[in-house]
Amino acid sequence: MSLLKGTRLRPFIVFGIMAALLTFVGISQSWGVSLTIINMCIISAIMTLGVNIQWGYAGLFNVGIMGFCALGGAAAVLVSKAPVTEAWSAGGAGMALALLCLVAGCCFVFILNRKWGKRPFRTTVTFIAALGVYFLARHFYDPASAAIEAVNPAKTGYLGGMGMPIILSWIVGGLFAAGAAWLIGKVTLGLRTDYLAIATLGIAEIIVALLKNEDWLTRGAKNVTGLPRPVPFELQLQQDSWFVDLVSRFNADLLAGLATDERAATLQSLVMDASGIFVKLCYTGLFLMVLLVLFTLCQLALNSPWGRMVRAIRDNETAAAAMGKDIKGRHLQIFVLGSAVVGIAGAMMTTLDGQFTPGTYNPLRYTFLIWVMVIVGGSGNNLGSILGGFLVWFIWIEAEPMGTWLMNVVTLGLDPASALKAHLLGSAQYMRLMVMGGVLLLVLRYSPGGILAEKSGHK
Amino acid sequence: MPEFIDILNALVLMTNYVILPALTYGSQLALGALGVTLVFGILRFSNFAHGDTMAFGAMVTILITWWFQSLGLSFGPLPTALLALPFGIAVTAVFLLFTDRFVYKHYRGIGAKPITFVMVSVGVMFIMNGLVRFVIGPADQRFADGARFIFKAREFKEYTGLAEGLALRSSQVITIVLAIILVAALFWFLQKTKTGKAMRAFSDNENLALLSGIDPDKIVRITWILAAILATVAGVLYGLDKSFKPFVYFQLLLPIFAAAIVGGLGKPIGAIAGGFIIAFSEVAITYVYKKFLIYLLPENLEPESLMQLLATEYKFAVSFVILVLVLLVRPTGIFKGNVV
Amino acid sequence: MKKHLLTVALAAALATSGFANAAQTIKIGVILGFTGPIESLTPDMAASAELAFKEASDSGMLLNGSTITPIRADSTCVDASAATAAAERLITADKVAAIMGADCSGVTTAIANSVAIPNGVVMVSPSATTPALSSIEDKGFFFRTAPSDARQGQVLADAVFESGTKIIAVTYTNNDYGKGLSDAFIGAFKALGGKIAIVAAHEDGKGDYSAEVAALAAAGADKLAVLGYLDQGGKGIIQASLDTGAFDSFALGDGMIGQSLIDAFGKDMVDTIATSPGGSSDAMTNFISLAKANKIGGEGPYDGTSYDAGALIVLAIQAGGTADRASIQANMNKVANAPGTKIYPGELKKALEILTAGGEVDYVGATNIEFSDVGEVYGTYRQLEIKDNKFSLVKVR
Repeated sequence: MSLLKGTRLRPFIVFGIMAALLTFVGISQSWGVSLTIINMCIISAIMTLGVNIQWGYAGLFNVGIMGFCALGGAAAVLVSKAPVTEAWSAGGAGMALALLCLVAGCCFVFILNRKWGKRPFRTTVTFIAALGVYFLARHFYDPASAAIEAVNPAKTGYLGGMGMPIILSWIVGGLFAAGAAWLIGKVTLGLRTDYLAIATLGIAEIIVALLKNEDWLTRGAKNVTGLPRPVPFELQLQQDSWFVDLVSRFNADLLAGLATDERAATLQSLVMDASGIFVKLCYTGLFLMVLLVLFTLCQLALNSPWGRMVRAIRDNETAAAAMGKDIKGRHLQIFVLGSAVVGIAGAMMTTLDGQFTPGTYNPLRYTFLIWVMVIVGGSGNNLGSILGGFLVWFIWIEAEPMGTWLMNVVTLGLDPASALKAHLLGSAQYMRLMVMGGVLLLVLRYSPGGILAEKSGHK
Repeated sequence: MPEFIDILNALVLMTNYVILPALTYGSQLALGALGVTLVFGILRFSNFAHGDTMAFGAMVTILITWWFQSLGLSFGPLPTALLALPFGIAVTAVFLLFTDRFVYKHYRGIGAKPITFVMVSVGVMFIMNGLVRFVIGPADQRFADGARFIFKAREFKEYTGLAEGLALRSSQVITIVLAIILVAALFWFLQKTKTGKAMRAFSDNENLALLSGIDPDKIVRITWILAAILATVAGVLYGLDKSFKPFVYFQLLLPIFAAAIVGGLGKPIGAIAGGFIIAFSEVAITYVYKKFLIYLLPENLEPESLMQLLATEYKFAVSFVILVLVLLVRPTGIFKGNVV
Repeated sequence: MKKHLLTVALAAALATSGFANAAQTIKIGVILGFTGPIESLTPDMAASAELAFKEASDSGMLLNGSTITPIRADSTCVDASAATAAAERLITADKVAAIMGADCSGVTTAIANSVAIPNGVVMVSPSATTPALSSIEDKGFFFRTAPSDARQGQVLADAVFESGTKIIAVTYTNNDYGKGLSDAFIGAFKALGGKIAIVAAHEDGKGDYSAEVAALAAAGADKLAVLGYLDQGGKGIIQASLDTGAFDSFALGDGMIGQSLIDAFGKDMVDTIATSPGGSSDAMTNFISLAKANKIGGEGPYDGTSYDAGALIVLAIQAGGTADRASIQANMNKVANAPGTKIYPGELKKALEILTAGGEVDYVGATNIEFSDVGEVYGTYRQLEIKDNKFSLVKVR
């Protein structure tokens, strides 16, 4: 490894190894598995790019990735699902009124807090005013949400979305996350290090709690399934004659050698396999385009005067401030940009899953795992974070079969009936967690800047 | 005016449903937050592995408890786990010192940034997460024995003749008493002993402390041992009061961090205050005040609705709203915590 | 490259169907959340399904002495991406004949839609109960042995209302199972003329439930409906209710049934009504003793349904005479529904013999299986009460 240090070839070599790993999975397991992993790798890589903007460029320790990811997912629902007109007429007006009250009330409280000069009563008055606004909004909100949630609760029970193509939600998801990040940044960016970290961790929990419990908006814990896709459905493809023709032409040699009755059955199974691969390839293409665009933008930004300024702020805040740089403004800008990228990835992930399940966002998977990706890949280096996204997701998925295999090898000599063997085999799933921790610790120890460290020599 | 008996009923109601549970939960959070805050004060990083350290300590104690139970050992009306507790602490302390020697020490040596330590602790968290499941499995384990109640709600009602009941569990008393003893001992240690004073000096100004001849390695060792004691006791008390399940201990990490931050990182007194603030706000904000008000208000003012500020679904979010609000007013927590 | 691989795969597929007469090793996927929020339930669920596989393999009657190798995969319960990747591996790499799983409704929908159905693989979920799964376009490949929540809500409401309770507090686990069941229960209970004092969700796997219980207790009902999981938040709620003296009378959904509940709190719980899927027979009791004999808990909310899911796949293989994926699908309803000899837990050998001889079976199993035309069980429910320190049957609804 040390031999490679500093050579320009390093990125090519590590990405070559990554490609070899994915190809190996394609051959030894199946191409379907390999493509499934690749698609999530790309989404993870986009998320890591977003976190890298915040941490690698500017040193902002954001542990609220889960929240922005979930907001992106909510965007996918709100953009693509058809509106539920019945619910709109039942509670749309009331909900709008409640929202209006909330916004107007917040402005009122904010101005009150600013204008009220005398210190001793200011906090009390603000608090009482805020409480008043809360109850006023609740007055309109409670009946409206109850009315909306009562509309066919097993199927809908929410306002639905805009009924537009789901691919638009990738942009909307980014905007949602950016808006939330602006608000959060305004409030928390004054905090230092660990205080900022835990505050963002908490805010992410609040966002997810809202998405999970505001049933009128996102169906909450009841989940939204069956989202539309930007690519064809496998079942549709299996019916389409052009696709069947394509597959049969592709396998003409094989089919020609078979008897007629076998040919139909063989073709059917070939079409089935091919449809799965085709759909995944469509996703891969779309995701790769997004990744390339974002990567190019990130590279341009990093090497621009703006990027140099941002890194200068990260490396020495005091010096940068002395040179007249607006540190708070830049931090807010970067926080918003990075979160927007995470939001885009969140919307893409929900699109790929075909469903939005707010109950499933947890910090271990959607925050800490992403951080492992950034650190392992190399913070401050865009290529590095992409590599981290690929490698760590690959390990996360493949650790399970590897763990089972390892346990089988370890217990080979044991008596098949022994309790120890059963216990070890039954515990193979937990290897995933240990492997992940082990990889993180090894990289931090022996390659502290990540596998592809930042070029300019900073740690 | 409400009658005296109504006031009494209202008080018993609040004690039973708000004050006692929040005191118990608060003590458990406070012990956890103390561990986090100590590690932060001395070693200067947020230890994300603390929740899993609690699970590890509790797991060891449970295994030893089972062994004691199989030997027929018991602690009278008190749970056997209390007998096993010192052994659990010892094993956990050895484990933590082991991790320090082979993991954290290297980074202290090279003077790594705090964020590196945080990420290292995330790595340790993942490994301990797996390790605990590997040894004891992911399932719920019950290890509490001895008497569960000191008096039950029904007995209280029959005895006092009040309409409201009040129950007192032995685990609640054990939790609160043990927490008080531990906190008192910790404060005595930090304030009165030479090592404790050295630790505080180290926490306030590392360089100055080193200049005055304090042995940093010793300080670090003592810190890990204290963290092991706090984590194991918190983990076992929690397990005795509710039950032991590894997943829950990871979930506890978030309110524990919220408590440590609200109080101010690195400030032991802040961790205790934070623990109780989080616990009380979770219960009090989502409480339904209807019955309470019915006791206190004259009949014509009695509320129709539930009088609930926020639905219980948001209970978990409450602790973080409090956290953000506190940080807005005091950016380093109530007791002005350390910043690295 | 791709072409070459397809040829190999095809050759393998032909080989399995071509030599159906010889004994073979059949792979069946078991995809459950071995890590994550329900990790404490899944080991017994997987073991129960594998018990059915073992029973069939050991009998020597399955396709001329074929044996079944279960291949486990982790659905994580929450991470749809990881779950689809695991399912993709089972189906396209390990080439399993069918899948027993998944567990949580979210990941189950994801796997069904993006992997199982497109690849024509039968999936039998033992625990996904959301009503939304009834209406997915499953091409007849998705089955479940746990009934949809909608029916149970009605049954439990009837039982509670008839017992004389007119006002009740409700708490549910905050996921699609709990929310769906509580919606159904509340709707039915109100329609009967009952009153809901308060509805409060609880989160599974959290540290403390005193806030929920405090809110529930203050609303003025004497009975509490707990629609959650036994070894998750539901247990925490019951424990906190008994500890504070808030409630000692409960109405329990199927997720709460289990001897461990009674072992822990049985003495303190009075006047408790519970419903669980199943018939009037002692099938469930038989299953539990069968499970216990094999060192499996057997009393988890979905252990019985898991065994049934595994058994149905086995019988469908035998009925079609091949472990071919399409053949399994075609035979699922045939072995689950009448006509035929009724088959109970532990009788798989008998069932396999009947099928070999060309007869018909009607698999009843531990939980009274009978598939509707969308591959779901209709669900008869057992109304239970706590008596002599165990759950005992009052009547079947």
